[in-house]
Amino acid sequence: MVAIRTPLIDRRDFLKAAGAGFVATMAPRAWANTLSTDAVFATAFVKRDGSFGAAVLSEAGKVLHAIDLPDRGHDVTFDPVSKRSVVFARQPGTFAVVFDHTGREAPLTIASITGRHFFGHGVFSADGGLLYATENDFDNAAGVVGIYDACAKFSRIGEFPTYGVGPHELLLLGDGRTIAIANGGIETHPDYGRAELNIATMKPSYVLVDRITGDLIEKHELPPALHQLSIRHTDADSTGTIWFGGQYRGPGTDRPLLVGRATRGKDLALLDMPQDVLSGFRNYIGSVAANPAAGTVAVSSPEGNSLAVIDTAAGKVVATKALVEVCGLAPDGPGFMATTGAGDIIEGRGATRSEPDYVWDNHMLRIEAVA
Amino acid sequence: MLKRFLPVLVLPLALFGASPASASVQASEIIQRAIDGFVRPAYASLHDHAGRLAISVKALCDAPSQAALDAAHAEYSATVEAWSSAEIIGFGPIKENNRLERMLYWPDRKSIGLKQVQAALADKDPTATGPAQLAGKSVAMQGLGALEFVLYGDGAETLAGKDDPYRCAYGAAVAKNIETMAADVDAAWKAPDGFAALWANPGPDNALYRDGTEAVTELVGVFINELEMVRDVRLKGFLGAKPEADKPRLAIYWRSQNTGLSLAGNLAGIDALFEASKLGDALPEDSRWMAESIHIQLTNGVATAKSIQGPIDKVLADPAERSKLEHFALITSSLSGLIGTRLTAEFGLTAGFSSLDGD
Repeated sequence: MVAIRTPLIDRRDFLKAAGAGFVATMAPRAWANTLSTDAVFATAFVKRDGSFGAAVLSEAGKVLHAIDLPDRGHDVTFDPVSKRSVVFARQPGTFAVVFDHTGREAPLTIASITGRHFFGHGVFSADGGLLYATENDFDNAAGVVGIYDACAKFSRIGEFPTYGVGPHELLLLGDGRTIAIANGGIETHPDYGRAELNIATMKPSYVLVDRITGDLIEKHELPPALHQLSIRHTDADSTGTIWFGGQYRGPGTDRPLLVGRATRGKDLALLDMPQDVLSGFRNYIGSVAANPAAGTVAVSSPEGNSLAVIDTAAGKVVATKALVEVCGLAPDGPGFMATTGAGDIIEGRGATRSEPDYVWDNHMLRIEAVA
Repeated sequence: MLKRFLPVLVLPLALFGASPASASVQASEIIQRAIDGFVRPAYASLHDHAGRLAISVKALCDAPSQAALDAAHAEYSATVEAWSSAEIIGFGPIKENNRLERMLYWPDRKSIGLKQVQAALADKDPTATGPAQLAGKSVAMQGLGALEFVLYGDGAETLAGKDDPYRCAYGAAVAKNIETMAADVDAAWKAPDGFAALWANPGPDNALYRDGTEAVTELVGVFINELEMVRDVRLKGFLGAKPEADKPRLAIYWRSQNTGLSLAGNLAGIDALFEASKLGDALPEDSRWMAESIHIQLTNGVATAKSIQGPIDKVLADPAERSKLEHFALITSSLSGLIGTRLTAEFGLTAGFSSLDGD
């Protein structure tokens, strides 16, 4: 494992590094204001020159801060207590990088332990003390959640099973104790890169696990006919209902429903969608994000170049948008900020900013005023 | 239907249907050439070889002899070569009914297939000798991997004599099942109103390919994904970063010594598909060199892989032979860069980033 440390940089260097355009439009005071009053957005990216990193964006979609990564990142999670973000390597990556949003502190690299790799997602406990990450116990083809102590340089202090194969996104539920995990059901092994080894027999599931005891609380599977619908991404709406988006690994000519809801104690319920909306996803949902204040959930498909917004109470699609290589989504005002593989950042109110040097990665996280 | 929002890279994309009539015709033409010039002949050839393979295994069972076993071996290798070329088209009819996994369950990391096949042989499971019943069993028991163990694995020498009729009967069922799948996929691609018509006729009412760009992205995705698969899954699954890390027993088709033939077949298929589609003709004049370079490197890769013969553990133990495998890896990496980055940039397709990654 390569430890990645970018040198400490002070504010002047940071401003220089952030580029002339940035300096020209934003004085240091404005930068400080941005940090203290506005939300920011964090996302991983690939640069057109082939390098990798993670960035913090302003509400207007400007790059405020960026760190280098040794390989492609995936999702970012944030600890509101220490005010640091963690970006996870894309599967089958073996690193996660903890960074603050100013660059004052050097980023800290977490290496996965022998026999495990990350799946690209993680979440903090409410007190910021523990970090939980979905990981692959690849020799046993078993999903686990690795537990890291944020107060001890993120040393790994244990793990518990996800009770399924190929776990992907995980969420800490409102009780602060239950973790919801999407087990995508797909077996992979780093010896074979990202090759999917069990498509004929895959069995995805959605589970609730007690993060203190590691016990399984609930486990739900899809009907057998949908065993090839990999449950991968999730978010919680204002009522605590978990919305999930799937990716179908069966024949491309099939058109299964892809988005569903999970409520405690009930079977998973897939959401009916108009055929034309469903066709626009090409059997692939890449990201799910809720906007609790607006009562909506958005799902995106970089394969189908489209996104849809769902009214959570009515359970109906209320808007769709065609957008090339859209994937990253985060609540923004009455709508959603969206990012694309073509480098576009579309604000919730519709303004578009283009950063053609950046291929924005699959996910974006909204972080409320932090400083 | 969603209104398509087209990217800023207008010029190259216009080739595949951003502007009305003439442009979408060009995407259709590229795909039609790919289907007629590669996909249909490749699956027809697989059907043909699988048919001969089934006949040869049945002949072996009817009149066991070393000559009959040799003949079955030859047909097996020919079928592996045909499959290795056809399998690069891993979507459409081959994706239905788990055919892709039933044709070849690999990698079999936990030796699931091997254990199931050995159990069937040990128990003389009568339900495994009927091709129709076999088709409903575990995917690992049905395809080229299972048949390879029957024809080449421990105990295969008995096939030349009359001592183990069960083993031969099971092998015949596996071969017949492979032929049935190959026949079904061949017929499905040949059907005028089947998947081929969907792929070659993108449009707003097409459920799968709503414009020329999506149809061409599927084609370019074959080159990108299969080059990565050949290198990262097929080759690096057994070729370590250093010789100490080599795992000869994890090499595909090591029992039948068809590893090199299979790697060659994969690249030969990619080359034939690229040439048949004439995708290179859609490049601007000053980028035509890419098409030529792709063809030259693929030809080079095929020749390199074909020169890798004999038991794969011996190949790995001989530095000169092993370096051929490293050279092959290098060729596929170079091709990945050329096609995945440069060619896609010429066409304004950002394939290879978020849309093709499966996360």
